[in-house]
Amino acid sequence: MNKPSPSATDSPGAASLPTVRNLELKAVLLLLFLLSLVLGSAAYLMYARGVFEATQQLVLVAEDSEGVEVGMDLTFAGFAIGRVARIELGEDGNARILIDVPQKDARWLRRSSVFTLERGLVGAARIRAFTGVLDDPPIEDGAVRPVLRGDALSGIPEVMIAVHELLANLRALTAEDAALLASLANLQRVTETLNGPQGALALLFGSDAEARQLVERTKALLARTDALAARLDRLAANADRQIFGQPVGPAAKAGQGGLVSETRATVGELNGLLVDARSSLQRVDALLLEVHGIAGNTRAATTDLGALRNEVEATLRKVEHLINEVNRRWPFARDNEIRLP
Amino acid sequence: MGCDLIAFVPHLLHRLRRSVLAFAVAWLHVLMLGAKILVIACAPASYRSARQRQLILRQIYLATAPLLIWFVMLSALVSLVLIRIVVATSVSYGLSQYALEVLVRTLVLELIPLYAALFVAVRFSMPGAQHLRERLARRQPQAPRGDEQQLLQTELLPRALAGTFAVLLLAALNCVVALLLAYLVVHGFSRWGLPTYTRSVGQIFSAAVTLIFSLKTLFFSLAVAIVPLAGSAQRDADGAYPRGSDISEFARLFSVVLVIEVVSLVGNYS
Repeated sequence: MNKPSPSATDSPGAASLPTVRNLELKAVLLLLFLLSLVLGSAAYLMYARGVFEATQQLVLVAEDSEGVEVGMDLTFAGFAIGRVARIELGEDGNARILIDVPQKDARWLRRSSVFTLERGLVGAARIRAFTGVLDDPPIEDGAVRPVLRGDALSGIPEVMIAVHELLANLRALTAEDAALLASLANLQRVTETLNGPQGALALLFGSDAEARQLVERTKALLARTDALAARLDRLAANADRQIFGQPVGPAAKAGQGGLVSETRATVGELNGLLVDARSSLQRVDALLLEVHGIAGNTRAATTDLGALRNEVEATLRKVEHLINEVNRRWPFARDNEIRLP
Repeated sequence: MGCDLIAFVPHLLHRLRRSVLAFAVAWLHVLMLGAKILVIACAPASYRSARQRQLILRQIYLATAPLLIWFVMLSALVSLVLIRIVVATSVSYGLSQYALEVLVRTLVLELIPLYAALFVAVRFSMPGAQHLRERLARRQPQAPRGDEQQLLQTELLPRALAGTFAVLLLAALNCVVALLLAYLVVHGFSRWGLPTYTRSVGQIFSAAVTLIFSLKTLFFSLAVAIVPLAGSAQRDADGAYPRGSDISEFARLFSVVLVIEVVSLVGNYS
């Protein structure tokens, strides 16, 4: 390629111009290159703007659309799934944010989806969608949903009020006549007392003399406690001897004369008595078995007696009837009839 | 002393009036010449002659081809440095999500068109205008006015079209290169960032921003093509083509470019 400088082009006449091979072709290629660049860039920008996407509309209703701009994204889980197409003021005074959602991304929006409009301390506002139940029916085209505002800047006045109150309290705490300073002075006195010769006792009883007196009394009490412990030891030894019969001297036999050994002998005797009682009870059981048999026989005999009685009664009635019959037939029978005059 | 001061004031006023008049005449000449070139450029008769087409294509090629490689390399280098600085700074401040928008707005929308316009002006339009002025200065001072039409068609129109084309091509090509470099620096050689990147670019290039960007680049190219030529083709009071200063021509061009840039900034960010 020839590379003539522009200075060589001072005359448009063919004689003074440098010769360029295939000039027209190269120039036309440059023109086509520029045309393709412009058309390609335009097509790419149109694609990037979502011109070729099939979309459905979503209307978000907010009390305040501050921070919302045309072209900003609607995000779901951090991914942009929609773009603000228009912002208008509704008849009810609320802002209506019209969002174009590509149909391939609309599956992430359900009827139970929640939308928020958040403004951070840095950067533009963000519109986010949250879908808890992905099994819900998909959101319909042209759906109108409220948007919840999450404004980080709105909390600043409350924070400032709280900070002012905190500073006032801090100022009151650090004032000359504040209770905190008095408390710190008292704390310093306490530490000085703790570092003194009587330590914490002086702090508890107010003065070193009382602390010293308490120490002396405590020592006396400890001496008496030692004496009491010695007496308790002797008492325990006596109790051991009485209960277990421990020997006082090394020649004595163990278990001799003690309450425990006597109790053990008594228990042995009780065991013998219990054996005797067990045999007596076995004999009583045998007797009771015999009595039970006698009672059964008696019951049977009682049943036979009833039948015998019936038979005796029947026999008696027959005898009576026989006697009556004899008396009636007997010549010496008495006349039982009473004749009336 | 007092008499000298009183005599000096009318002289000062006279010089001031002449300066203002010359200023107004110069700018009026620029506007009129630009309008004439546009009229001739839009007229189909300007392209009927094969020799005229040959002249235009030659100027277009000579204005663009020698600059193309060097400008692309230089612009890519500058873009790469700026992209690295912006990305590293935004990452260190935890604002990496805004790095791409800052890059596109500063590089593509503002710097590259301005850079391309000034590059073409310095490398093609100003030297070409200077040689044209020298050639015209050698002409007879009282050349017939009918030559102006010939001058417009044979000298000014090819150079103006070539300057306009060069600015548009270099700006468009380097915008694409800068966008590619920005993607590579931010996402690396991975295609998974392409949807997010495309969405971010589309978010920046709204209809208004795209229109302002296109108009700004077009007016840059027209200014670079016409303003230097206007100084070369301006006759003085005697009808001759005086040898003017290159610095004054560049200052005039720079002021026009600056006004266009300011107007575009007002349109974009106000």
